[in-house]
Amino acid sequence: MATTWLPCGVYHENYTQDHALWQTNFIRGKMLLLALILFFGIPYIADSYVLSICNLVGYTILGALGVQLLIGFCGQITLGHAAFLAVGAYTSTLLILEFPWPKFMIDWGLAYPVSIFIAALVSGIWSVLFGLPSARVKGFYLILTTMAAQFITVDFIITQYVSQVGGRGQAFSLPPGTIKIGPWVIDSNLKVYFLMLFLVIICVVAMVNLLRSRTGRAWVAIRDNDISAEVMGINVIKYKLLAFFVAGCIGGVAGAFWISNLAAISPEHFPWFWSLWLVGVILIGGVGSIHGTIFGSLFMVVIMELLQLAVMPLADTWPKLLMDFLFIKEAAFGLAICAFMIFEPNGIAYRWWQSKNFFNLWPFSY
Amino acid sequence: MELFLMTLTTGILVGGIYALVALGWVLIYKCSGVLNLAMGEMTLIGAYVSLSFYSMGVPFLLALLFSLIIGFFLGILTERIFLDKLIGEPVLTVIMVTVGLSFFFKGTVEFIWGTDTQVFTPAVFSIEPIHIGPLIVGQVYLWSFFAAILLLVIFVCFFKYTRWGLAMQATADDEMAALSLGVSARFVYAMAWSIAFMAAGVGGTLLGNINGLNISVGYMGLLVLPAVVLGGLNSVPGAIVGGIAIGILQNFAGAYLDRYFPGAVKEIAPFVFMTIFLLFKPHGLWGWERIERV
Repeated sequence: MATTWLPCGVYHENYTQDHALWQTNFIRGKMLLLALILFFGIPYIADSYVLSICNLVGYTILGALGVQLLIGFCGQITLGHAAFLAVGAYTSTLLILEFPWPKFMIDWGLAYPVSIFIAALVSGIWSVLFGLPSARVKGFYLILTTMAAQFITVDFIITQYVSQVGGRGQAFSLPPGTIKIGPWVIDSNLKVYFLMLFLVIICVVAMVNLLRSRTGRAWVAIRDNDISAEVMGINVIKYKLLAFFVAGCIGGVAGAFWISNLAAISPEHFPWFWSLWLVGVILIGGVGSIHGTIFGSLFMVVIMELLQLAVMPLADTWPKLLMDFLFIKEAAFGLAICAFMIFEPNGIAYRWWQSKNFFNLWPFSY
Repeated sequence: MELFLMTLTTGILVGGIYALVALGWVLIYKCSGVLNLAMGEMTLIGAYVSLSFYSMGVPFLLALLFSLIIGFFLGILTERIFLDKLIGEPVLTVIMVTVGLSFFFKGTVEFIWGTDTQVFTPAVFSIEPIHIGPLIVGQVYLWSFFAAILLLVIFVCFFKYTRWGLAMQATADDEMAALSLGVSARFVYAMAWSIAFMAAGVGGTLLGNINGLNISVGYMGLLVLPAVVLGGLNSVPGAIVGGIAIGILQNFAGAYLDRYFPGAVKEIAPFVFMTIFLLFKPHGLWGWERIERV
């Protein structure tokens, strides 16, 4: 998607201005305002329930960023991203629970932050492993191999083998106090919220900057036409695998982050449904746009919460509804994807772009 | 040796059902170019519909017939409402619509019929096994296989000898030429979807008879993907061979590999096999290799 047009009368005099991420003072002000709202406004006014929804949105953004990178910017369709989230989550959990950390690491609360890094790396490497077929196949066949990644990783390796480590059975419980960053024990929604904010901002900024670089342009070239990309001298296989690596890393961060919000993790947290959900999120938000990832996550999570709130009052008369809510949610999600694909294939981000341009160019749009 | 033969027979018998479902899949792909990920849920719908009729006291064959009729109309509806507007859209869009459809179907099925395992009561096929030489085969498997093969033959004859079937073949071969000869492409697409729905419904009903019916039968429907990849996406004989091969492979993995990799190796083996197979032969056994131009 093209960048937004600048308002009339804004001119750049050198390349530094031209390449700046935020080009006018107005945009810088807007970003400052956004940061103020995120860091002070929301924690100040929101109660625990709203914060938990914000955390879910953040988790969805982190998960969907990797999918957006693969599908929206590199053109490698993936339907198995939850596998990499699971790898990240399990790596982090196992490191925290089983690794013999030196005493000072635990005292200073370094175990969890370090485990996030390692989880990202492991998850990235795992993702490259399943990205290898992309060297040979593309399109529908690649979809099948990424699906296989999901089934092999979550349903087989994690359920059957990783879950047996330490003899805990199916679920790994995380005792309160194990998730600790520096002096803070992550035990309330507010603390999870700040951790989420930190990670989301880091990942989004990293993605945005990566996409402005040589690597990002290579990915977009591969997405648009991989044969011409190769002709232009781009090492297609290298960049495809790099895309898988980065996507896996972000997925790993997402998974490792999410364990701070859970009392126990089990393979059921990363079903195939979740992979498809993430793809649905970016399709609804808009393919090929970072804004789209964020809007899609917000939209899906909030819509599902509203749906739940709407079902609640009806549950007095039909108690069965409450039990069946999960199924209603699934059906609604399916219909939402179909409706967006048919009626609004460019997603929410396109409308956002349109309205932004409208205001930027107002009153003399050309 | 005993185990080997037993596994082989069971594999072939179950594979027949997969072949039937895979045929429906290939049909949609050949005629309209839609890569359908909702196949598993389509098997579920057909299976639950015939189960409901059967538990109302309708004889089994009649229940199956009703499920075929309902599948026929659902297929036409699905095509008209969702897929018709997507002709000429990119692959991802179409695939994601089928994914959306699969969620919609699954949610609806779970909402209506719940998630508990339901069985056909009274049992349709007697549980008394049949002895063929040294082999012991459950009657369910045998009859399911025969039913699947019978339907496969009917479908293949339909394509070869009826006017509609020929129209579908023509569209699959060259859409432009078929259109100029007066074949209605929209009719053919709708037909392909309803036939796929019917094939999936019968497949689901038969699978439901074997182990009871719950959501995991929908997972069995996903096994058509390895099957069609093996045979080649646009090859009808490939679908049949692929289905049977996947059935055999799955049962062999269950019988022999389970010792070394305990757990769900039976469910995973087809997908592992598919991934490795794709690395070496991305177009399957009989699929068309398309030359790509910039």
